Amino acid sequence: MGDSSGRGAAPELLHYRPWKGAFRPPIAAVWPIARTGLLMLLRRRLFWGLYALSMMIFLMYFFGQYLLAWFQTQAGESRVVVGLLAIHPGELIEILADKLKLNGSAATYRNYIHYQGYMVMIVLALAGSVLIGNDFRYGSLPFYLSKPLSRRHYLLGKGLAVAVFINLLTTLPALALFVEYGLIYSWDHFTRNSYLVAGILAYGAVLTVSLTLILLATAVWLRRTVPLIMTWTALFLLCRQLATSLVDGLHLDPRWRLIDLWNNTWLVGGACLQMGPEAFDPASQPRWVEAALVLGGVSVACLSYLALRLRAVEIVG
Amino acid sequence: MASVPPLIELDHVSRWYGTQHALKDLTVRLAPGRIGLLGPNGAGKSTLLKILLGLLPPSSGTGCVLGLDLGRSGVELRRAVGYMPEADALVPGLRGAEYVALAGELYGMPRREAQRRAHEVLTYLGMEDARYRRLEEYSTGMKQRLKLAQALVHDPPLLLLDEPTSGLDPSGREAMLRLLLALGREHGKSILLSTHLLGDVERVCETVLILHQGRVLLQGGVDEVRTRRQDRYRLQVEGDSATFREELRLEGAVVLHDNGRGELRVAAPPGWATRAFFALADNHAVLLRGVLPDDEDLEELFHRVLAATPAPPEESRHG
Repeated sequence: MGDSSGRGAAPELLHYRPWKGAFRPPIAAVWPIARTGLLMLLRRRLFWGLYALSMMIFLMYFFGQYLLAWFQTQAGESRVVVGLLAIHPGELIEILADKLKLNGSAATYRNYIHYQGYMVMIVLALAGSVLIGNDFRYGSLPFYLSKPLSRRHYLLGKGLAVAVFINLLTTLPALALFVEYGLIYSWDHFTRNSYLVAGILAYGAVLTVSLTLILLATAVWLRRTVPLIMTWTALFLLCRQLATSLVDGLHLDPRWRLIDLWNNTWLVGGACLQMGPEAFDPASQPRWVEAALVLGGVSVACLSYLALRLRAVEIVG
Repeated sequence: MASVPPLIELDHVSRWYGTQHALKDLTVRLAPGRIGLLGPNGAGKSTLLKILLGLLPPSSGTGCVLGLDLGRSGVELRRAVGYMPEADALVPGLRGAEYVALAGELYGMPRREAQRRAHEVLTYLGMEDARYRRLEEYSTGMKQRLKLAQALVHDPPLLLLDEPTSGLDPSGREAMLRLLLALGREHGKSILLSTHLLGDVERVCETVLILHQGRVLLQGGVDEVRTRRQDRYRLQVEGDSATFREELRLEGAVVLHDNGRGELRVAAPPGWATRAFFALADNHAVLLRGVLPDDEDLEELFHRVLAATPAPPEESRHG
């Protein structure tokens, strides 16, 4: 490529100049696609509002852990006598921490990610319509697919952007809670419970793969924000209500809960964090393997739909 | 002198969509240069572009673009080619410079070089001041230039341009055609210009390939095609023009139009000399006040050739 940085080159700018450089392989196009997607979403105020809302749950957990630890240090060994009862405040706080699952156990991280479900749903609906839907609505697909990359790379790029958002909402804050607990209570927490890090990452991976594929498929199908939010509401709220009514109301087989995809990720996430069946409430749940099979099946179906939808035939004309 | 390797070489290329035969046994060999691809809707232009971009393999036949095999070199092909789509194909939310730099990165350029090159190309195309505007705020003419910039960012030897003047006003169209001509003439770019506007082809291209119903209807240099044009004249006559018209018909000329006020448009047979008009007029006591050459343009030629071509029989895949 000709040198364009020299000061004396200014008058030359109006002329076309050849470029002679080395091209990178098509896989290198994945990150620019993802980065562009992230940039487009981060430029929207709505996204920042939603992200701030989602951080409320994180802050509740973060300061919950912090305040309980602070109360425990303040209470020390003292006892409070209420009538005939002598109460140890430290023990009370411990019971409270166990009840709220703010005790650095597997349940803390599983519950945190589970409670993020509603915000994840809304943020991803917005992300889906901006990242994918717009490419169909505004005809951007020819721009991407007429370049030396395949639809696999295009999907990987878009998927990577979605994955970043999913992990910003779930995995990363959960890891931050893990680190905070270790820093507050004991460094032993990091070595003793290192399996929890692997569990959080595995839970994050399950969410990333399944939600990314579902989002890409629904966004390609629906393209607009409002229908996308409605469909996601149906998928993650109506299905949940229906599953609860069928299993808890009509006392049908617990496998009916498999229609609730967020519950399925919760079950598989629990297994990743090495939690037994007794740790689930309500207790009548399908096995986590069944939930994993449903998620896998849905993911494969979404992938097939995407492969079918993004054919070269759409690129020109 | 060694022969120049062809830019595009297609050998009996056909393409089926189910039972629909989009391209029929296409055999062409096009040298580097500025090529016009003409044809009405459904002629097979889009299918040919998809095949040339390596997005669709031919159903049968072989071919290569810039020496790259059509069936096997999809990624390499698209790297060697800059494609400007007809549709907007913009990424809403991005700014002009970001859009072109993203195109560069997608072509495989390192990020910094893609950014630098994006600024250079936008400046070359006269969009220096509009670089940081959001794409949604661009006018149609600017969008067309932007699409050309993203096709040009990696400096490809071949540009595939799909209706580059679509939606432009006359001055915008003229500016775009001037740019294309400069890219071809001064910077050695080969251009395949797919359009339905014959004026664009006449203005920019050296070679023309006319497709109709998936077949090559006409191929040759634009000048050569021009020589196949009929000589046409606009005659201004005074007096009884009926017998004069009849005499013209007997001599093999065709009266294309008579405005009823003494102005005739006439297609002359090959070898016709202008003075023959005066001789005929003199014979029939008609005063010939003016003879103006009014040659058939490419559009008229295209429609004449199209009308003269017998419709092929209905075909089926197994037929």
